Amino acid sequence: MKHIVYLSRAVHALTDHDLQHLLDQSRHDNEQQGITGVLFYSHGNIAQLFEGEDEIADALFARIAQDGRHSHVRKLVDKPIAARSFSNWSMAFHPLVTEGFEALQGFLLPHHMPPAPDSLPIADALVVELVRLAVFGPDPSQPYHHALPLAP
Amino acid sequence: MLRQLPAGVATLEGPDLRYGFINDRMRELVGEGQPGQRVTDFPGNLPSVFLEMLPRIYTDGSEHTAKACACGPHHCYDLSVQPYHDEQGQIAGLLLLAVDVSEQEAARQRAHELALTTRHLDARLRVLTETAPLMTYTVDAAGAVTYVSPQWYRFTGQPPTADLTAIWPLLVHPDDRLRVLYESAAGRRTGTGWNFEYRLRRYDGVYRWMLSRALPEVHPPEAPFFWHGALTEVHLERELSEARRRGEAELRFLADSIPELVWTASAEGLVDYYNQFTMEYTGLTKEELGPTGWVGLLYLQEQAAAARRWVQSVASGEPFEGEYRLRRHDGVYRWHTIRARQLSDESGPRWFGTCSDVEEQYRLRQVLQTQYDELSRAHHNLDTFVYAASHDLRQPTNNLRGLFEELRRSASFADPEQAVMLGMVDTALAELDSTLIDLATTVRTQRQQQEPVEVLDMSLVLEEILLGLRPEIMQRGARIDVQVGEAPGLRYSRANLRSVVHNLVSNALKFSHPNRPPLIVLRSYLTPDGQPVLEVRDNGLGMHIDDPAHPIFQLFARQHTHVDGTGVGLYLVQRIVSSQGGHLAVTSVIGEGTTFTIHWHTPSSSS
Repeated sequence: MKHIVYLSRAVHALTDHDLQHLLDQSRHDNEQQGITGVLFYSHGNIAQLFEGEDEIADALFARIAQDGRHSHVRKLVDKPIAARSFSNWSMAFHPLVTEGFEALQGFLLPHHMPPAPDSLPIADALVVELVRLAVFGPDPSQPYHHALPLAP
Repeated sequence: MLRQLPAGVATLEGPDLRYGFINDRMRELVGEGQPGQRVTDFPGNLPSVFLEMLPRIYTDGSEHTAKACACGPHHCYDLSVQPYHDEQGQIAGLLLLAVDVSEQEAARQRAHELALTTRHLDARLRVLTETAPLMTYTVDAAGAVTYVSPQWYRFTGQPPTADLTAIWPLLVHPDDRLRVLYESAAGRRTGTGWNFEYRLRRYDGVYRWMLSRALPEVHPPEAPFFWHGALTEVHLERELSEARRRGEAELRFLADSIPELVWTASAEGLVDYYNQFTMEYTGLTKEELGPTGWVGLLYLQEQAAAARRWVQSVASGEPFEGEYRLRRHDGVYRWHTIRARQLSDESGPRWFGTCSDVEEQYRLRQVLQTQYDELSRAHHNLDTFVYAASHDLRQPTNNLRGLFEELRRSASFADPEQAVMLGMVDTALAELDSTLIDLATTVRTQRQQQEPVEVLDMSLVLEEILLGLRPEIMQRGARIDVQVGEAPGLRYSRANLRSVVHNLVSNALKFSHPNRPPLIVLRSYLTPDGQPVLEVRDNGLGMHIDDPAHPIFQLFARQHTHVDGTGVGLYLVQRIVSSQGGHLAVTSVIGEGTTFTIHWHTPSSSS
């Protein structure tokens, strides 16, 4: 079992429809593959932590790194874990129209996200906090107009 | 058979040239014309120029072919005419053959237009390639250079007659030559392009870095035969990046040489570099440390707070600073000051951090703190002892005085000297009593250093104090002049102010000049830089200020032994004022008077 954290940039800004489609599809795929974790999206900035069996997680990351819909994929953490810290897979972003989304399974508003679970080592929890900050900015209740500097 | 010919066939009979035989193909050309009718009456689409020629051909018996005649709006025919003869060898008519060449003609037309377009494109390409600030070239599969743009000649200074294939490798820097030849040959062999940098000799003999990129011209399924490419001068960029690489390497070397933990982090607060010493100290690799591994090295209870603080710093851009225990490779925790600051420049913000080992300082501080605590306790105990002793000694002293009074009343002494001695004992007892009182006061005052501070109305407080000294003032006929208009308020502890003023005024009264009534001036004012000051000026005896035998601000030091006193007063004043961050100045002229200037330097004005 391992977990992987990465940051990336979407090539095109995602619409509400794209996001909902991504949420549905990823939830379905991840549930089948035993992948759990969380994905943050805001204004083209993407960060994701996912955990699963080694081969499955590696294969998923390889697919993500090849995916033409985003670029500048930066793997931050890739290390073995003893147990899962997330019970399912969810996504946090600011939809333009909130109404329909609140009821969606696996959807989180950025400022309604629970804090990183205690089972996560503090160094990894800090990574999650930092990428969340990088994606949503200091005040997650406000849509954040900011682009991550590109990876050196 | 003639009917099925893929060409139009017709005969024109007799001198009138009347249609005879017309096959289907010819029908398309001549249209309505029927056998027996004259061709001039029903020419169909036959061009008029051609019609005019027919009678002449009939007459002189020659043959004629007209190529690609436009017949009607859509068709073109190759028309050929030849006479045929009757049995007598006389010309009997003309045989007309028409081959439809419309398609060939259209194709020819298209080819012509294409050639024109190509010429335009070629011209445009040429202008572009010859004006762009880069050199272009073409190499064939054998490695022969078939074209270079004029810029190349200008750059290298070679004559237009130069043998390009032979000369260009000679212009490449000797250190790069083999590599360049190998790479371009490899590109040609595999049918791919290339992309490399090399130094090319300029007309002035200076080698400049160039970027050479080329792609094959591909026409599947044939193998590529030409490679077209461009040469761009990248000398400055190359030098810059070289300098940057060197600078970076030097910085890394520097950071690696420092016996401190040094690290850098991205704008998101993710550490991307740890120096060599960090690896040595922690015993972990860069991968094991990861982007936030440092937090795991802290004392368990301090990790969460440090992580929160770091997130806060990253969010706000404020520097990060704190003291934390960091785990060494052998599991020992040592105190470190962790500092990180953000550098913002055109390449975006970055964080630079250090962890300095402050274990020794920390230990030293702890030892000092322990010693300070002990000293402070000892001092406090001593104070308490002095206070208690002086307090406890007063009761026996009082008893002694009472007993002595009793003795003096009841006993009678014959010797007059004994009466004098009695008086001396009395004086000594009184002095002992007052010394004890003063001692107790001193100790109490030292405890009052943490008195509450408030804004005091100087005129009210001074009046209160003078009221307490009223008997002495009356007794000596003293005049007191209070001037507080310039600084009517003061932020100070009431009890401390009272002690200071009480001591100074009673001193002034005590050491008054026997020849004149005392005049004491109390003046509260502000110095030019706004600091409050109280001046106490008298016209009394004055004193020796710099006399080492009679120091003025020491406990039990006395300036005038003929005047009653315990020598505690000025010591106390000095203590109070300096304990509040102020100081006391004094000027004095023997026989004329003394001026004390108290610079309060109150806590509020000093901040």
